[in-house]
Amino acid sequence: MEKVPPATKNSLIRRVSYLLTGLPPNPKEVKNFLLDTSSVSYEKMVDRYLNSPAYGERWARHWMDLVRYAETKGHEFDYAITGAWKYRDYLIRAFNEDVPYDQFLKEHIAGDLLQTTRENKETGVSESRLGTTFYVMGEGTHSPVDVRQDEADRIDNMIDVTTKTFQGLTVSCAKCHDHKFDPITAADYYALYGVMESTRFSPVPADLSKDKKLAAQEIENLNSYMRKLVAGKWDRAKNSYINTEYAQNTTINTSAMSYTVIGDFRGRDFDGWTSDGFAFGQKSTLGNPIVDPATGKLLGLDEGKASSRSMGMGIFGALRSPNFILEKDFIGVRALGKNSSIRIIIDNFQLIQNPIYGGMDQRVNTEEWNNFIFNVRAWKGRKAYIEILPGTHDRHRYNLTEDAFIEAQYAVTYDGEWPLDLEKNITKQPSQDNWASLEISPFKVIRINDDLKKGKLTSNFPELKAVVDSSRLLAKSLKNVSFVNGIYDGYGINSPIFNRGNYKEPSEEHVPRRFLSVLSLGDSVFKSEGSGRLELAEVMLDKDNPLTSRVMVNRIWHHLFGKGIVETVDNFGLQGKLPSHPELLDYLAVKFQQEGWSVKKLIRAIVTSETFKRSDALANTDPNNIYLASFPVRRLEAEAIRDGILAVSESLDSTMYGTPVPTHLTAFMQGRGRPGKSGPIDGEGRRSIYLEVRRNFLEPMMTTFDRPIPFSTFGRRNVTNVPSQSLILMNDPLVAQQAEIMAGKLMEKGLANFEEKVQWIYMQAFSRLASREELKKASNFFGMLQEMEEKMDGKEKPEMELWKEYCHSIFNLKEFIYLI
Amino acid sequence: MGHHHNTKPRVISRREMLGLSAGGFGSLALMSLFGTMSLGCKRSGSHETTSNLYLGPHYLPKAKNVIFLYMDGGVSQVDSFDPKPRLAKENGEDPRKKFKVDATQFDNVGKILKSPWDFKQYGECGMPVSDLFPHIATCVDDIALIRSMVSNFPEHTNANYFLHTGSGLQGRPSMGAWMNYGLGSENKNIPGYVVLDGGLIPPGGLDNFKNGFLPASYQASVFKAGPEPVANINPRESINNLQEEKLQFIKQMDDSLIGKIGEADAVESAISNYELAYKMQSSIPELTEFKEETEATKKLYGMDSDDPHLRGYASQCILARRLIERGVRFVELTCPNVGADRWDQHSNLKVGHERNAHAVDQPIAGLLKDLKSRGLLEETLVVWTGEFGRTPFAQGSDGRDHNPSAFSMWMAGAGVKGGTIFGKTDEYGYRVIENAVTVHDLHATIMHLLGLDHKQLTFRFGGRDMRLTDVHGNVVKDILT
Repeated sequence: MEKVPPATKNSLIRRVSYLLTGLPPNPKEVKNFLLDTSSVSYEKMVDRYLNSPAYGERWARHWMDLVRYAETKGHEFDYAITGAWKYRDYLIRAFNEDVPYDQFLKEHIAGDLLQTTRENKETGVSESRLGTTFYVMGEGTHSPVDVRQDEADRIDNMIDVTTKTFQGLTVSCAKCHDHKFDPITAADYYALYGVMESTRFSPVPADLSKDKKLAAQEIENLNSYMRKLVAGKWDRAKNSYINTEYAQNTTINTSAMSYTVIGDFRGRDFDGWTSDGFAFGQKSTLGNPIVDPATGKLLGLDEGKASSRSMGMGIFGALRSPNFILEKDFIGVRALGKNSSIRIIIDNFQLIQNPIYGGMDQRVNTEEWNNFIFNVRAWKGRKAYIEILPGTHDRHRYNLTEDAFIEAQYAVTYDGEWPLDLEKNITKQPSQDNWASLEISPFKVIRINDDLKKGKLTSNFPELKAVVDSSRLLAKSLKNVSFVNGIYDGYGINSPIFNRGNYKEPSEEHVPRRFLSVLSLGDSVFKSEGSGRLELAEVMLDKDNPLTSRVMVNRIWHHLFGKGIVETVDNFGLQGKLPSHPELLDYLAVKFQQEGWSVKKLIRAIVTSETFKRSDALANTDPNNIYLASFPVRRLEAEAIRDGILAVSESLDSTMYGTPVPTHLTAFMQGRGRPGKSGPIDGEGRRSIYLEVRRNFLEPMMTTFDRPIPFSTFGRRNVTNVPSQSLILMNDPLVAQQAEIMAGKLMEKGLANFEEKVQWIYMQAFSRLASREELKKASNFFGMLQEMEEKMDGKEKPEMELWKEYCHSIFNLKEFIYLI
Repeated sequence: MGHHHNTKPRVISRREMLGLSAGGFGSLALMSLFGTMSLGCKRSGSHETTSNLYLGPHYLPKAKNVIFLYMDGGVSQVDSFDPKPRLAKENGEDPRKKFKVDATQFDNVGKILKSPWDFKQYGECGMPVSDLFPHIATCVDDIALIRSMVSNFPEHTNANYFLHTGSGLQGRPSMGAWMNYGLGSENKNIPGYVVLDGGLIPPGGLDNFKNGFLPASYQASVFKAGPEPVANINPRESINNLQEEKLQFIKQMDDSLIGKIGEADAVESAISNYELAYKMQSSIPELTEFKEETEATKKLYGMDSDDPHLRGYASQCILARRLIERGVRFVELTCPNVGADRWDQHSNLKVGHERNAHAVDQPIAGLLKDLKSRGLLEETLVVWTGEFGRTPFAQGSDGRDHNPSAFSMWMAGAGVKGGTIFGKTDEYGYRVIENAVTVHDLHATIMHLLGLDHKQLTFRFGGRDMRLTDVHGNVVKDILT
């Protein structure tokens, strides 16, 4: 095989810069590279781009294609996915910091379950959990008439994206029957279905840090300290309380009850419910000393309830029940609070609103205990859980005000009338007293409070004042102000197999949660009481799993050469293509793992190879360039074209991160959910990755240049060639505007003559100098422009007007949108 | 190049093609762009392996083009094409005492509601049509009515996606994209799949008209009324011929690039796209200005009406005819915004349906008559449908909720047996009781008329050979000639 000679240095720096950062090289960088004659000049140049912040922006966008990244949920009204952009920023940081891929994978699959989390070096905020946001990037329907089908559709999408992205397998094909081509069974699909079904959705604070965790822990410690202090001072009286059980006022005939208690928080614990976040702490308020903050005087011991303000207000937390089947007409929750909500989550359905589900999300705004009643008659037989949380969902955006809190005593499901007797039927737990920490039953707390009022016990605790003060101070640091739509771990559910994918025809047997049976450890059942996602991440990373490393290595190769070693980057199954270089793929996959799953090291290894440095002149012996005798010519991606225009016109704003720039809405972008205001034409000069991705209002320039529609995994973009692309470059106002800006910049440079001006433009746009011939053509073109304009109105136009037309033409040259 | 659809396809290599085509690389680009010639050499494409290809018909087509009149929101079948005298008899009674009522979108089930409109029989076939559509009623002998349509979804967005793409979820290719993928377009200056935005883009948005996993070249081009009918179609240069001069300069520079690079095919296509784009700039305004349309024609469609919405829809119907005359494969018209929502009358059925009907009735009848008199109806399939029907009982007191269990739609033109009524609903028009036709069946039938076998037109994506009809679909033979 005959190899073609290496590419020129100009060509190489342009290639490396675009492929590593998505931007053209700055002319200064080009000059420096050309001047650097050292033997390591190429490696130094590569390292500079690998370490540029723009590298993360480029490679994060590649990843976003895999996880159907969008900032809205599409469907009818295109509701926002709260904080989606924080996941985008997470990706940029992760690629820039070269987070090892195994860690990156773990954070995606189970970032919420990791024992040790990875923190942002600057802010201390936990990064790991943000990875899981990819699960919720899917479409969302409000008011589905069949909520179970809706859940099945969402889960199918989650399985599809997860397995394609991380394993290059099309597991979704096994939804209706065993995979027709690959050794993936329907049982495999439903084993993963259980994993996803056991995963719940939730607003997740995006500002959790180690400091906050420590503060919460400290508050809990202070609380125990107060309890011990009080118990200690009352120690002499303890015998009159412990070892005596106080009878309930009434006897309840439990067999006649037309209700079932789902959760009772009047005892010391949460009755099997899960407390997520800090707000509710780990236990109910039963026995908490209530102290007058001014004097330190003990006012009494608190009754038992779940309270989101036990630490302070405006702190995120949610209390959620286990799953149960809706069997009675009503669900009732006795609660009070402010700007908070109780939601009934049926089959994991989140976009609760009218016309169908509006009643399943009730606002809590009452200072007195109140009975909140949910009519669930229409959904009997469905699985559900109850969610009690401070804050509200406003048009599906979670909002937590500073004064928000919620408290609940119990939750019940019943037929007919609200079960009044429940109020008196207080639980006896904890059944074992522990006087030293005031762990005593509700009846004893009532007795103690009576005695305290009568003066039988001392209420003088001046030393508590300082404790209460520090606790309050600490609580302030716990406030959460920033959220993402995320996930948290629910209770493990094993799914039946749905015959032909129809949930109405379930198999009798349920498939235990596990990985794909054909892969290593694929038969071991997950032991976790939750979803098992952490185990899923671990088996994906098992050393005998052949796919995890190969799939990622192949993606990287694809992005660098425009074609994967396995061309079907998302499908390593039998329907995919065979690798063109199997040994190379194996070699790189092993190397990738040995070098600590470092994406940057792998990219560096490939980019510094001789193959990568070849010119694009086609070798006769390799007409389809399968063996990469030459470097493939390729069109730049949508983002690189737009960002390139902004960069060469010098109007690129390289600000990183943050809320997306609103979509510029043209007259052609109509329909429900259209934002009231259009964003700016130039997207504020920001890189394309920071432009809003609204599912129902996708940027036309992006989609026309083949950015995929965000619904599934697209590891490989289509590359189409259509006149609407030419029309954009010819007539779109953005391109014309940037040409004008570039001409203006050119005028400011104070360059001496025509040739210098053309050369400036060539260096900006093509990273090289114009040839004699090109200069001549430019001069002819310019002369013609002048002539035309003069003919038009007889007088000379400002020079800038002519340069504007020239720059606009430059943007339209193929050399500008092709990597040559 | 033309309509060699019935000739046996032969494999033509890319190089051969380059040699054969008089225009060199330019012509190859045209072919791969709008499929002016069907290669017919492959029976399926794939996301993984191809970017642009066209397959050609599987057998002799009846129809060349489709005009899809989308009645967004769901027209009430019992108020339009499926008369139910029993509703009048039992008006005001509780439907739950008469039949099992399914869960509805708004869960606000009222009383049985008789139709506010009378039905009369029309044409030689005697098809009953309500007073909502006095003009369409005069065309019934050309219309095949299906009264037994069913959808899988009672929500607009899912049902819209389903009707347009064969799947209730976002992201699948639209039927117009499939037709162009299968057949290509016959005009190189106009895209092969055009959506005429009459004012209302249906719920689910532009994704109803997208290419899904097919290459982006198959997505619909949206046309709007006004000075810029297609995005970026107007040159921005302030001086005459300036754009031409720039394009010439660009071509000169690009051509010299070709000699310097290796794999130049894609770059060559991109160069020739500029010629196409330039031609589109002039062909589209020519298309949307109705200079050569006679007053009589305009009047036929209702361009002289006092109702601005009727005039707007009339001009869309004329434009649709002009598009298919020029070989555009698939044209969809969305609804005008009459100020009373789309056909989605959850309340105030009488006013809303009347306004919507008034805007579209005469233009549609005008279109059918105009196509017929020009001989175009023989090769054009006109499809009229909503995404689902409406309930025979009221929502609240004077509206109707969504009903996916029965709705009426009709087709006219190429290969369609005029004056036919197919399928049957129960006495309330609530459920289909005979010859249910699914959305997949509708797609299979449209494809069949275009000469495509819905089971054979596939595209590999995510490891599966995807079809518009998924694993379903039967051609409704009874309504075909």
